[in-house]
Amino acid sequence: MTFELFNRTFFIATDVLFAYIVLIGTGLGVLYLVNRANKWSVIKDYVTTTHHRKIGVLYLLSATLFFLRAGIEALIIRMQLSVPENDFWVFQGDKFNEAFTTHGTIMIFFVAMPLLIGLMNVAVPLQIGAQDMAFPYMNAISFWLFLAGAILVNMSFFMTASPNAGWTAYAPLSTAEFTPEAGNDYYIFGLQVSGVGTILAAINMIVTIVRHRAPGMKMTRMPLFAWSTLVTAFLILIAFPVLTIALYILMFDRLFGTSFFSGESGSPIYWQHLFWIFGHPEVYIIIIPAFGIFSDVISTFSKKRVFGYTSMVVAIVIIGLLGFMVWVHHMFTVGLGPVVNTVFAITTMLIAVPTGIKIFNWLFTMRKGVIRLGTPMLFAAGFIPTFVIGGVTGVMLAVAAADFQFHDTYFVVAHFHYTMVGGTVLGAFAGIYYWFPKMFGFKLKDGLGKAHFWLFLIGFHITFFPQHFAGLNGMPRRVYTYTAEDNIFIFNFISTIGAFMMGIGTLFFVLNIYKSFKDPDKCGNDPWDGRTLEWSVPSPAPEHPFDPMPQVNTVDPLWEAKRNRGGKLPVANTSRSAPIDVTSWQPVSFYGVIMLFSLSFIYHVTWLQIVSGVMVLAFFALRTLTDEHTRLAKEGENHDNV
Amino acid sequence: MNKCKLLMASLVIFLTGCNLRVLDPKSETARDQSFLIQFSFALMMIVFAIVIILFVWFLSKYRENDQNKDYIPADEKGSPWLEITWTVIPFILLAILAVPTVSITFEQSAQTESTPTDAVLIEVTGQQFSWTFSYQNGVETVNDLRLPVDRPVEFTLRSDDIIHSFWIPKLGGKKDLIPGETRRMIVTPEETGTYQGKCAEFCGREHTKMRFTTTVMEESEYEQWLEDMKEKIE
Ligand code: HEM
Ligand SMILES: [Cu+2]
Ligand SMILES: [Cu+2]
Repeated sequence: MTFELFNRTFFIATDVLFAYIVLIGTGLGVLYLVNRANKWSVIKDYVTTTHHRKIGVLYLLSATLFFLRAGIEALIIRMQLSVPENDFWVFQGDKFNEAFTTHGTIMIFFVAMPLLIGLMNVAVPLQIGAQDMAFPYMNAISFWLFLAGAILVNMSFFMTASPNAGWTAYAPLSTAEFTPEAGNDYYIFGLQVSGVGTILAAINMIVTIVRHRAPGMKMTRMPLFAWSTLVTAFLILIAFPVLTIALYILMFDRLFGTSFFSGESGSPIYWQHLFWIFGHPEVYIIIIPAFGIFSDVISTFSKKRVFGYTSMVVAIVIIGLLGFMVWVHHMFTVGLGPVVNTVFAITTMLIAVPTGIKIFNWLFTMRKGVIRLGTPMLFAAGFIPTFVIGGVTGVMLAVAAADFQFHDTYFVVAHFHYTMVGGTVLGAFAGIYYWFPKMFGFKLKDGLGKAHFWLFLIGFHITFFPQHFAGLNGMPRRVYTYTAEDNIFIFNFISTIGAFMMGIGTLFFVLNIYKSFKDPDKCGNDPWDGRTLEWSVPSPAPEHPFDPMPQVNTVDPLWEAKRNRGGKLPVANTSRSAPIDVTSWQPVSFYGVIMLFSLSFIYHVTWLQIVSGVMVLAFFALRTLTDEHTRLAKEGENHDNV
Repeated sequence: MNKCKLLMASLVIFLTGCNLRVLDPKSETARDQSFLIQFSFALMMIVFAIVIILFVWFLSKYRENDQNKDYIPADEKGSPWLEITWTVIPFILLAILAVPTVSITFEQSAQTESTPTDAVLIEVTGQQFSWTFSYQNGVETVNDLRLPVDRPVEFTLRSDDIIHSFWIPKLGGKKDLIPGETRRMIVTPEETGTYQGKCAEFCGREHTKMRFTTTVMEESEYEQWLEDMKEKIE
């Protein structure tokens, strides 16, 4: 669409225009509602908070919003592919490529990651008997850095410069020679900034788990969600710096004319190695926490401790280690030679063993138990067969010579959605339904939860199962249309129907949140007859929840207390001092500064780069000079020194 | 009406599962790959079936009902024997799968093979968004690949700009075209016919349209075609 303004003609694509109208409309609507309900103080409370539960809620809330955005993109993709030779709206060529690029990027980095990190924030400190995360201020910084990155990638669309080289951003397509527009700069800065936040979050998790466990909670008594968080945090600590480096080099190639990934001495294959050395651990980073959630949920809802605790822990550690040794399975068709290909084929297959151990342990946790099918358990139950299908196709893809056929087809698209939606997203939903009472003091509605579950799960299989066949019939991924002779119409058509079913399922989830806030079912501390420490503290979890500090003697302390001590946890005689909670405008201001900094690079504004660069450094100085420890020591309060 | 027919036709494919291009090989390479796909699928179905049986069994048997509602299950930590079982059996299944995986992957990595003596040599160049094929006698075609039946063909793969991937599903798996490097791929088509070819690596705006047709013809026809094309350029 073109229009005249100040005697100049402007062009704006109708989809962008439409998105602006929707965004501004809902924005104004939300402002009006907030104002009417007089909730500004709540917003201020959350924006300046450093409390783990509130930061967790912020993560979950933003992840849900981004899930809706990337979900709409998924529906757009499915609309365009519903029939052969289709021309849906503007989504052909570049527009389509932008849609799947931002869909993938947002789903991985700004949906899967924050859903899980959010749940970790809410649950892990409470599960291990910590008063808060080890570094509350840094926790807030992590969140705001994540949000800055997410907003950068999201706003690119509104600046008509979406990234368009796929979520993998393969060079040389992603270099300035082939995609000179600002789109892939948004990708680089968005992931870079949020990546720093993620690394800080990982450090925080590790220190919290290592230093802040309740007395008696040995590592071997930690709930499995805490264990999976610990392993994930180490994976992040190793994998994300690789992404940082890769993006940094790509930034140099794009902005400053170097040629690491092209030309005589550079090679595009370097990018693939760097990206996948990060990228494969990344997919374990987003699945291992989900495994932890399922372990806790299945055990609670079967009224039994998890079967084979030790092998469960060993399995996630091995999955984490092997996760670093398989990246070439994304590059079988590059031609790295038979030795490399077979070695990586075999390491990849090996991951199936610890994963299988976990599946069977979950099944045997249910055996001889009493299985209550509450909404969290429904998601956990739906996960098992779904994820096994994804795992099975994963082993098939590991067969290097067979992957010459599978690679970059819809078979792969089906496979990774089976693992990421069937694993991560179902896990996140299970976790949200499970811990919602700890966040707000009331449960989500069961009836709506069931509707959400069934629509989402059935819709999921209808969407992605046929895609295996589309792939086997020769449909490459990342194509915006196909012909009738391709004989893949039926698979795509069914797939589109399923996608809309998932969309409706998601609406039920949103509706559920709305209804539950409107008419809350207050539910007390322990709505699920829980086993671990988080169910012993009030809902919503207060600041400094463990007072007095419990003494832990077993893997499921609360369950044991309910069986043998009338529900009273034994009290520890040593207590752990708490991290210092503050309220501060600094983290959110840092968000503003880092946005400015990134935008000045994306749009090459040199003076602003200097100014905002100085501001970033000034922030570091400011933080170095604020010291809560000395202040508290002067006031004579007991506090933690980590 | 046309759409309707199409729908019916594809429904049949959907139900029978055959006729899918990848599983309908026209060369030894593709046949081996198709074998691997079906073999790994069969092995994996064993695992899948066991999981589903246990899943349905436990879920129906131990589901909460009026009788067991207040029952507290006995504490059970695990069982070393069971855990060893489901560690060892997957290892065995994977070992079985690893044997053909390794042997066929080695066999198919053309870089280690020498050029067969009677091979047809074809240079393939990918560029945004089309394919150029050059034959030994200097003939060049765009998006139109012709091959003789029953003779090994050695493709030399190069890219003019960015990464593409050369794929003829019925003749075998894909191989990437990397700028600045050369890759080789050898296949022997065994049946005449017309097959689809596609770019499988996302390469920008019109990646979707980067397709070609492969026509496999009788040797004599092929020679004739080469002659005719040659005359055309001269
Ligand atoms: C909600 C339902 C979803 C639907 C209907 C859907 C649909 C699709 C489709 C059709 C594609 C292929 C695009 C193409 O190759 O042309 C795709 C790609 C992708 N999806 Fe989804 N998706 C959904 C949810 C998710 C979730 C939850 C995740 C991750 C947590 C995810 C991650 C990805 C990724 C990483 C890609 C690859 C993007 C790329 O090729 O660069 N999707 N999705
Ligand atoms: Cu991988
Ligand atoms: Cu392409």
